Amino acid sequence: MLLVGCQPPHPAGQLVVAGKSNLASVDPVDITTLAGTQLLSAIGDPLYKAGADGQIRPHLATALPRLSADGRTARIPLRRDVRFHDGTRFDAAAMVFSLERFRALAKMSYLLDNRIRAVRASGPYELELQLKRPYTALAALLSSVSLSALSPTAYQNHTQRSLTDRFVGTGPYRLVRSTAQKQTLLPFKQYWGPAPRNRGIHLVSLSNSTALFGALISGEVDVLLSTGIESDQQRALARRAERGQLVEGSGPPGEIGYLTLLSNRPPLDQPLLRRAIALSLNRPLISERVSYGIRAPLRSLVPPPLAGSEPPPWPTYNPTQARRLFQQAGYCGSRPLKLPLTFRSNVPADKLFALTWKAQLERDLADCLQLEISGMESTTAYRQLEKGAFPAILLDWTGDYPDPDIYLTPMLGCSTVRGDQCLAGNAAAAGSFWSAPGLEAELQASESLAGAPRRTLLQRIQRRAAAGAAYIPVWQVAPRAWAQPHLRPPVFDGGGQLSLQALSVR
Amino acid sequence: MSRRSHLLRYAASRLALVPLMLWLIASLVFLLLRVAPGDPIDALLGIRAPQEARAALRQQLGLDQPLLVQYGRYLGDLLHGQLGDSLNNGEAVSSVIGHSLPASLELGLTALLLAAVLGLTVGFSGIARPEGRLDLAGRLYGIGTYALPPFWAAMVVQLVFAVWLGWLPVGGRFPATLVPPSGSGFYLLDSLLNRSPEQFWGALRHLVLPACTLGLLLSGVFANALRLNLRRALDSDYVEAARSRGLSERRVVLRHALPNALLPVLTITGITVASLIGGALLIEVTYSWPGVAFRLQEAISQRDYPVVQGIVVVVAALVVAVSVLVDLLVAVLDPRVRF
Repeated sequence: MLLVGCQPPHPAGQLVVAGKSNLASVDPVDITTLAGTQLLSAIGDPLYKAGADGQIRPHLATALPRLSADGRTARIPLRRDVRFHDGTRFDAAAMVFSLERFRALAKMSYLLDNRIRAVRASGPYELELQLKRPYTALAALLSSVSLSALSPTAYQNHTQRSLTDRFVGTGPYRLVRSTAQKQTLLPFKQYWGPAPRNRGIHLVSLSNSTALFGALISGEVDVLLSTGIESDQQRALARRAERGQLVEGSGPPGEIGYLTLLSNRPPLDQPLLRRAIALSLNRPLISERVSYGIRAPLRSLVPPPLAGSEPPPWPTYNPTQARRLFQQAGYCGSRPLKLPLTFRSNVPADKLFALTWKAQLERDLADCLQLEISGMESTTAYRQLEKGAFPAILLDWTGDYPDPDIYLTPMLGCSTVRGDQCLAGNAAAAGSFWSAPGLEAELQASESLAGAPRRTLLQRIQRRAAAGAAYIPVWQVAPRAWAQPHLRPPVFDGGGQLSLQALSVR
Repeated sequence: MSRRSHLLRYAASRLALVPLMLWLIASLVFLLLRVAPGDPIDALLGIRAPQEARAALRQQLGLDQPLLVQYGRYLGDLLHGQLGDSLNNGEAVSSVIGHSLPASLELGLTALLLAAVLGLTVGFSGIARPEGRLDLAGRLYGIGTYALPPFWAAMVVQLVFAVWLGWLPVGGRFPATLVPPSGSGFYLLDSLLNRSPEQFWGALRHLVLPACTLGLLLSGVFANALRLNLRRALDSDYVEAARSRGLSERRVVLRHALPNALLPVLTITGITVASLIGGALLIEVTYSWPGVAFRLQEAISQRDYPVVQGIVVVVAALVVAVSVLVDLLVAVLDPRVRF
């Protein structure tokens, strides 16, 4: 009883925010997880930031990139009133240092390497980027929190290796303590922007959904992030929010779930069959059964509201038309198509998807399509994608920054195309081996377009991908958060990060 | 040859085997990790990175080298006491173990203490009336706690005491809003040395649920072991002889039967300690306890080869050391043991 009575109160104005993943390092060059980017969004500042409306706005930059006539040089003016957490001044040289360090050390250095040839300071507060080819989504790319500015002074001894437990950037919070399970953030008093509305954040990780759920219900934590929370517990939290026992907020969907079909081997080398499979998927039913509708049905490879996502080009569920196509391909009746479907055994929603879709097909199209489902651990499955090991597999994808390109190119990009087959490139590595004549050129052309022409071209690319049906989008996942009722509802930025500085008592 | 010489020879022969065992374990874990499907690049980058980026990272981490070269480098580092660096963040594996091992030991030793007290009390309680109600309850307790699935028991305890009643924390090792005590990594000890009641209560509150759950699960083994061995001892000739000399039953039990019955319990304790050095995986995962088993599980899922190899080798060395120690202790204490 003594122990029970000694629960330490939270320091005034400081909040405890819980999520699932441990954090092995706070260095942007090491970070590849959502938990890492969530932390970086509070302690770091990128050049640009996506607002809640999805618009990219200058952050450490003062204007959008000014592109040269050939679109291969971008100049970016920078703020002059910014200081790092160690007190040193932010300038163009510091930004060059940060970007070069990322290119040299980061596990995700390909984000820049694919696009940028060189970085230099063209003035004390002006950055110049040489691009490999014109890229109109440059500002969106530079909104990735992994590209936050770092203090050259603090990182001078860490140009060849990462600094795992310290972070010295320019963000609204400074990191005062960090372990794999817990990070403590305090407001940075010299921050150039609006001050945080709270007096500090303790980010903690717990290892399972039940523990996280229980920690919020028992009042042990103030705010809970949805990553890693099981669907039934998310629904229970949403219901509590409806009853006023919690407050809830959600962000733009960044994660998509999709089926990849192996298009270069029988029987799925027949586009007709792939289209029939696409028509056989009852997304609303599956979404409801698997996640109570939390994983919203998706018929586009690009999640809304990003450009090119509307109108969704993949067909809705149509068993009659699906049956007709299966019959045209020589299936149905006494000869159903037996399709092996692999799901990632360590992702609970994937298994539920496989079981639900299998049951739905047994009910609606049992004589045309039968699933043979099997689970495989995700890391093992990823290794075998490029070997064409899976006739059908459910995967997910989260864009590193809010732009259609980061969703389409990794799935549809292809360096060597023969007919409708991708022999080498992203589509081969993604396990579909599908491409189409001229598709790669259209993808590259979309990178240099902006506004309505780009949107039109992206819609065309998506229509072609839908006709090829080597990928079938299934659902999209929006980040959510729940907070204790005495707090303001959690808000997210356009990059899908919870705004920690906006968390406060009502 | 004197008993002492025999004992020294026995100890020397056991210790001589240690390097061979460690080499076998180190080689086996190296090989198994490479044979297992999946690799660190996939675990780190998922399916997002282009082929060139994957190749570059493979080269950066030294995974593009032939297997024999990697093995040679690994053994060479081991011989120099180097466990390598994590592929995930470059942190030294010795540091990873240095942070997580005290957490596992603190949990394991506390649980062992609870298990011993609880188990031995239950095991001893039914001895006055064999096959009586108390004895039967003790037997059921022993079987029941041994048969409980650890993850299920941990989740029930967590739900009842942390979520529904809200008495104790759901998980973690220390309150989020406090600064953990610095020092040995044993938070209870460190907070006492720092003379910080706030830190001590914080650490203790977080320790209660996982330690009690683990202690409860382990106590059945102690209860059954003591009960069986005590019964056997009480039926033996030397106890009969003691009784026939007119000694009181209390004296017979405490002075003659109990010490002999405790010798097998000592062996069980040794085995339990050895197994707890590697952490209690399900307990650590359920309670988000940042111990060595929790870290090993993370490293396996990330295919972080050096961390997995380092943890396995260090834990194996400690397990071997404890096993040898317990064997020697039993040999010293029990004159009947031949070696």
